[in-house]
Amino acid sequence: MSTLANQRGAAFLREVGRALTALVIALIVALIVIFVTSADPGKAFSTLASAPLSSNRTMGLWIDDVAKLTLTGLAFSLVFQARQFSMGVQGQVYVGGLFAAFVAMSPLGATPFAIPLGMLAGMLAGAVYGFVPGYAKARFGASEIVSSLMLNYIAILVVNYLIRAHLAPAGSGQLMTAKFPDAAIFPAIIPGTRFDLGIAIALVATVIVWFLLYRTNWGLKLRLVGHNPKFAEYAGIRASFVMVSAMTVAGSLGGLLGSVFVQGRAFGNLAQNFDGNLAFEGILIAIVARSRPLAVPFVALAYGYLRQGAQLMGIRTDVPTEMIAVVQAIIILLVASSFSLPGKALFKRLLGQSPASAASAEAAK
Amino acid sequence: MAAVLEAISIGKTYPGGTVANDGVNLSVAAGEVHAVVGENGAGKSTLMKILFGIEQPDKGELRLEGKPISFANPREAIDNGIGMVFQHFSLVPSFSVYENVVLGSEPRNGVRFDREKAIAQVRALSEKFRLHVDPLPAVGDLPVGQQQRVEILKALYRDARILILDEPTAVLAPQEVEELFVAVRALVEQGRTVIFIAHKLPEVLEISNRITVMRGGKTVGQVNTKDVTEDSLATMMVGREIALRVDRAAGRGDVACEIKALKITSDTGSTIAEDLNLQVHAGEILGLVGVEGNGQAELLEAVAGLRDVADGAIYLNGESLRPLSVIERRARGLASIPEDRLARGLAAGASIAENMVATRLADRRYVRHGLLDLNAIKANAQALIERFSIRAGGPAFAVGTLSGGNMQKVVVARELAEQPKLLLVNQPTRGVDLGATQFIWKSLTKARDGGAAVLLSSADLSELLALSDRLVVFYRGRIVAAFHNSDDLTPETLGTYMLGLNTQEPETMRAALQ
Ligand SMILES: Nc1ncnc2c1ncn2[C@@H]1O[C@H](COP(=O)(O)OP(=O)(O)O)[C@@H](O)[C@H]1O
Ligand SMILES: [Mg+2]
Repeated sequence: MSTLANQRGAAFLREVGRALTALVIALIVALIVIFVTSADPGKAFSTLASAPLSSNRTMGLWIDDVAKLTLTGLAFSLVFQARQFSMGVQGQVYVGGLFAAFVAMSPLGATPFAIPLGMLAGMLAGAVYGFVPGYAKARFGASEIVSSLMLNYIAILVVNYLIRAHLAPAGSGQLMTAKFPDAAIFPAIIPGTRFDLGIAIALVATVIVWFLLYRTNWGLKLRLVGHNPKFAEYAGIRASFVMVSAMTVAGSLGGLLGSVFVQGRAFGNLAQNFDGNLAFEGILIAIVARSRPLAVPFVALAYGYLRQGAQLMGIRTDVPTEMIAVVQAIIILLVASSFSLPGKALFKRLLGQSPASAASAEAAK
Repeated sequence: MAAVLEAISIGKTYPGGTVANDGVNLSVAAGEVHAVVGENGAGKSTLMKILFGIEQPDKGELRLEGKPISFANPREAIDNGIGMVFQHFSLVPSFSVYENVVLGSEPRNGVRFDREKAIAQVRALSEKFRLHVDPLPAVGDLPVGQQQRVEILKALYRDARILILDEPTAVLAPQEVEELFVAVRALVEQGRTVIFIAHKLPEVLEISNRITVMRGGKTVGQVNTKDVTEDSLATMMVGREIALRVDRAAGRGDVACEIKALKITSDTGSTIAEDLNLQVHAGEILGLVGVEGNGQAELLEAVAGLRDVADGAIYLNGESLRPLSVIERRARGLASIPEDRLARGLAAGASIAENMVATRLADRRYVRHGLLDLNAIKANAQALIERFSIRAGGPAFAVGTLSGGNMQKVVVARELAEQPKLLLVNQPTRGVDLGATQFIWKSLTKARDGGAAVLLSSADLSELLALSDRLVVFYRGRIVAAFHNSDDLTPETLGTYMLGLNTQEPETMRAALQ
């Protein structure tokens, strides 16, 4: 048994080592880009490296990102473990945010139930939105990648339209709703910052997802389907049920993230394009965390720091925030191509791996 | 016969401390097929890697045509006329056959790659050695047997006089093995020397001139093929008497499983098998004989509930199975050992414990109120690991880390953990070493003696003849012959029915179908 502990320890260290290597390489490239583009590279780099810690306010920004990245990372981890490549978190965030906003703007929004009901409405909406591509795949064989991406666009366009045409205060010309009542907005844990209920929700969600995956019958079935769907079928596990339910549960996490977005202190209302593409960054989080729920908050912590650093660098120096996209791309490439299985499988699916090379990969086993 | 390649007192310890070779001797004569046999882990591949310059020996020396030599890398071995085909191929799937063959040593026309010449050379080589490989298609589109021959061509293109084949038959279907042997004989006829690694003994006896036996990193001895039998060779390999015979059923019970007028069609509607009528009694093994692809595998899938049935009926102890799901059939006492353990029998990335409980997720001992009882699951795995002597670090290890034989034991352990009423078995010992084969055979006969009705399909006729009480032969999706097993029944007799060369009287067949 001690050999097992050693083996696990070694595997753990290897994973951490690889993630850190990817991070260091990405930072070196970031440094080079900064040197090439900036008039004052020293300032730019030190901003990137230390700005998130510079005040309570920036730390709040960072932790707020960590909470959101954790939730999207969890949603992606869940579908990746079932080897489904639903990309629908973004769409779920929008419908989740929309329904949470409906609750907040209804008469219920001023009652103590506003927060839990908003979260619940977001989760239900997200679950329905996650269910659709799962059902389409199980029933009609539709690729979940394509259908979930299309649903993302639909959700974004519909929500943006509703805000512009119906939800924004009439005549204000604003592209957002009015502020929600205080009762519908998450309380701050540290007053005056964005350090709010969101991070607590993210941590609870982490534990719940871990429990679902590793302690329940459903989670074991889900992981077995992810490991080998033909084996699951042979063992009598209903793979399509597992698949659809995994996408539905992941959808509820996406919807919850929507509620955290709109009810969190960062917004407190429903605005157009509110997610700032953060929902998609869950892919990176899940790949680096190898879809392990307990690793997700740690990866989110490190990545969220970089992300916030880059944003502050964009504001305070002459290096554009987009620089973080370079770092992101490098981390994804390094991590996904070199060692993460879902990462590889995802890449294969996205690049439309030819049957020839897939066949030889089989033969090479 | 002068030795063309010799290895003398080779020692090799891997960095982890595994002693893979310890005083190994090998002497290969020019123009022979020299087999090296031994169980998994005996050190065969290590020795071959040393001969091919991939690993460096810690002790001992190599001699080529009597002169001491050492290879720092494969390049030097290739330059000295040695070629090697690995168990795992190194081909570029999107490249054509000829591109793969010449890769790295392309014929040139000035500075340009002379494709015409490459194609012509590859075609000529393929014909000369009867490899039957078309140079033009992409390698990824070829079946495994052809890919292997592309690897052989690669070595021959680089003028290999001595060709090492590391377990070439492990990945091949029986027909492909025959084709490979044709090529090996052609190689030897043309003066090449072949070193052939294997652990399936009938193949070794068929193809080799001499055999070196390895066990636990040492050479046990070298023998002439004509002087040994399968049993004596097995005993040398394993180091103890090993009985490759098992006891026949003492007596059988009532009919347990009955298949009536069963018809199976493919997704596209074409008929795979029809008019299948079978009875299997409790306590007997019914062997399904046939060249692969004649409907045996599909029959087993249909009974297991993994494939739709077009027409007919399947009964288990009087109850129709057709309306039942996989889980419901399993609950009625059906167990199944599938053809391909990695494709269907296991989840390689999941732990041993999870694999062992995967078919019992409706069982209250392991799952209550939707929650896993991790202690019970672990205890179950621990008990099965001991009962089936599975060599593994523990229940939490991933199945993918085990050897082939131990993976198969995980499948067998799971399916036989509880006495089944109907056991479906397909290729139970493919790619499994002798020790594990013996163990798996014993487990199957034990299940039979416990009252299971067993349907066994195998590409290995000797396995079918060793285990079955009755045999039925499939040809083009129909049952064309049936036999009570006896010592008079030979593979040759079965073969004539398998290939459709012979037909049986309806009365004889009916008598043996009961
Ligand atoms: N690269 C390696 N590093 C460490 N141990 C190895 C390596 N290759 C093989 N071994 C070990 O050496 C022993 C002999 O292996 P191998 O030569 O592959 O046997 P065989 O080919 O007869 O099955 C085994 O115990 C195996 O685990
Ligand atoms: Mg080997």
